[in-house]
Amino acid sequence: MALIEKKNRINSPVKKTASLQNDWHIRQLAAIVQSSGDAIFTESIDGIIMSWNNSSEKLFGYSAEEAIGQHVSLIIPPECINESQRILERISQNESVESYEPLRRKKGGERLFVSITVSGLVDEERNIIGFSEIVRDITARRNSETVNSKELVFQKGEKKKRADELVIANKELAFQNEQKEKRSGELIIANKELAFQNSEKEKRAAEFIITNEEFASSNKEKEKRASELVLANKELETQNKEEFERATQLELVNKELESFSYSVSHDLRAPLRAIHGYARMLKELKEGQQDFEANRLMDNIIINSKKMGQLIDDLLTFSRLGRKELVRINISMNDMVTAICEELKFSQPAREIKFHIRPMVSVKADNVAMKQVWLNLISNSIKYSMFKKKTFIEIGSEEKENEIIYYVKDNGAGFDMRFVNKLFGIFQRLHTDEEFEGTGVGLAIVQRIIFKHGGRVWATGEVGEGATFYFALNKS
Amino acid sequence: MKEGIEILLVEDSASDAEMTIKALKKNNLANKLLHLKDGSAALDFIFAEGTYAGRNVEDKPRVILLDLKMPKVNGIEVLERIRMDARTRTIPVVMLTSSKEDPDILRCYELGANSYVIKPVEFDEFQKAISNLGLFWMIVNQTLH
Repeated sequence: MALIEKKNRINSPVKKTASLQNDWHIRQLAAIVQSSGDAIFTESIDGIIMSWNNSSEKLFGYSAEEAIGQHVSLIIPPECINESQRILERISQNESVESYEPLRRKKGGERLFVSITVSGLVDEERNIIGFSEIVRDITARRNSETVNSKELVFQKGEKKKRADELVIANKELAFQNEQKEKRSGELIIANKELAFQNSEKEKRAAEFIITNEEFASSNKEKEKRASELVLANKELETQNKEEFERATQLELVNKELESFSYSVSHDLRAPLRAIHGYARMLKELKEGQQDFEANRLMDNIIINSKKMGQLIDDLLTFSRLGRKELVRINISMNDMVTAICEELKFSQPAREIKFHIRPMVSVKADNVAMKQVWLNLISNSIKYSMFKKKTFIEIGSEEKENEIIYYVKDNGAGFDMRFVNKLFGIFQRLHTDEEFEGTGVGLAIVQRIIFKHGGRVWATGEVGEGATFYFALNKS
Repeated sequence: MKEGIEILLVEDSASDAEMTIKALKKNNLANKLLHLKDGSAALDFIFAEGTYAGRNVEDKPRVILLDLKMPKVNGIEVLERIRMDARTRTIPVVMLTSSKEDPDILRCYELGANSYVIKPVEFDEFQKAISNLGLFWMIVNQTLH
C-alpha cells in the first residue's frame, strides 16, 4: 500500500507546502494505485523507474526495491526497446496513445503479452517530466487468441486442403459424371438393343412355339412316312434287283450292238467285194474262155449276191428282236416243235431225217420269238448233219427246280469244244462257207431271244459226233 | 511241191483268196504260196502240228497274209501265237480286213503286226493293194534269217 518515493532519484518537485486537502487527495490516489489490479509504475523522462505498485511486483516478479531506480528496459525485451522509445516520444510531443500491446519481460526472462496505457506526467508548467504506465497482463488472452488463431490457421489450412481436395473431388466427380453420362448413353443404346433383342426373342419364341407345334404334327407325319418308306424301300430293293438284272442285260445288248455294227460293215463288204471282183473277171475273159470260166464266175456272183441278201435278212431279224416287246403266253412246246419239224422236213425232201420229239413241259413265253428259236436250232441241226446218211434229231425238255431246260440234239458235224464260247457270237462261225454255208447270225438270234426271256443258252459237242444245244427258261 | 513256202495266205473267204492269188500271180509272186482257210490250220502249219507234223518250224515263210476275221481261230489269235514263240517271232505278218472301223486294228499293232491292209471293195483297187504289198514284202523287204 505504501507509495515509495525515492526523492533523490525523482526530479519532480513535490510541494512541501501541500494543504491537508491536497495531502488527503495524494494519499487517496496512492492507495488506489497501490491496490490496483493492474501493474502501475512511473518512470522519469530518461526511463528510470520512479514508482512500482504491488501488481507490478506480482506481474514482473521484481520487488519495488529491485525495480525502483532501474531503467525501464529491465522489463522490456531488447527487440521491443525501439518501439517503446517511439511511443514515449509520441507522447512527449503531446500525441495521445491510448494503449498498445507489446511484449514485456518478467524476472527470469519469461515473455509476457501486455496491454499498456501510457500517460505523461507534467509539472506545473506542463512540461513532461515522466510517464506513468498501466500494464495489464494479456498473455492468457493472447495465448488463447494465438491458439485460436493457430487453430483457425490450421482450420483454414484444413479447409483449404479440403477445398483443394474438394476441387479435385469435384473434378473427379465431374469426370465421373461425364463417364456416367457416357455410360448411361451407352446403356441407353444397350437397353434399346436389349429391348430389340428381347422383342426378337419373343418373336422367335413365338415362332418356336409354332414350329414346335409343326414339328409335333410333322413328327407324326414322319412316323407315317417312315413306315411308308420301309415299304417303299422293300419295293426299291426288289426294283433294284430287277434293275440290276436289266443293267446286266443292257450291258450284254450293248456289247452285242458294238460287235454287231463292226461286223455288219465287215460282213456286208465281203460278198459285195466278191460280186464286184467276179463281175470284173467275167468282163476281162478272152474269147474261147467263156463257156466254163464264165459259168463259174457267174455262179460265184449269184452265190455272193444270195449270201448278201441272206445277211441283210438275218441282220433285220436280229435288230428287230431288240425292239420288239415280248408278249408272254402259255405255249405248248410239243405242238410248236412238231409243226416246225414237219415244215422243215417238207423243205428237204431228199434228206432222210428222223425227229424224236419227247413230251415237253409247257412254258410262258413270246410265241413268235420262241418259234424263231426252235426254227434256228432245228434247221442248224439239219444243216450240220447233211453229210450223214441218216439224220437223227432228238428234241426234249428237263424240269429243274427253278427252270425248264430244252434241248436239240443231233448226230451232225459237231464242233471243237475249244471254240464253244464263239458259237453264239454274231458273225462268228466255226466253219467256212465251203464246209457249211451260213451268215453267223442264227445262234446269235437264239441267244438274244433267250436272254430277253431271262434265260440262258449253252452247247456241247464233239467233232464228227454231233452237238447238243440247250436253252433254259425260268418257270415263273 | 510246196517246199520252201514264201507266202502263207490265211483267208476263209474263197472269193477273197481267189482275187488275192490272182493279183499276186500277175506279179509272179504266187509260185510258192500256200492258202489255208482258217486260223487253226494256219497254226498247225506254222508250228508244224496236226496235219503238218514233221514240218521244220525253222522253214519260215517270208510273209504271212493273215485275214482278221475267220472261223474258229481268228487272225488276232494266230498273230498272238506267232509273236509269243521265239522261233516264229520275226516272221513278217500283214493283217487283212474288210473294214477300217475294225476295233481289232489297235490290238494288231500292239501284238506286233508289220502292216495292216484294208481289202478294197473295188476290184482294181483290191488288185493294186495286194500287188503292192506282195512286191514290198517279197522284193523290197529284207527278211531276217
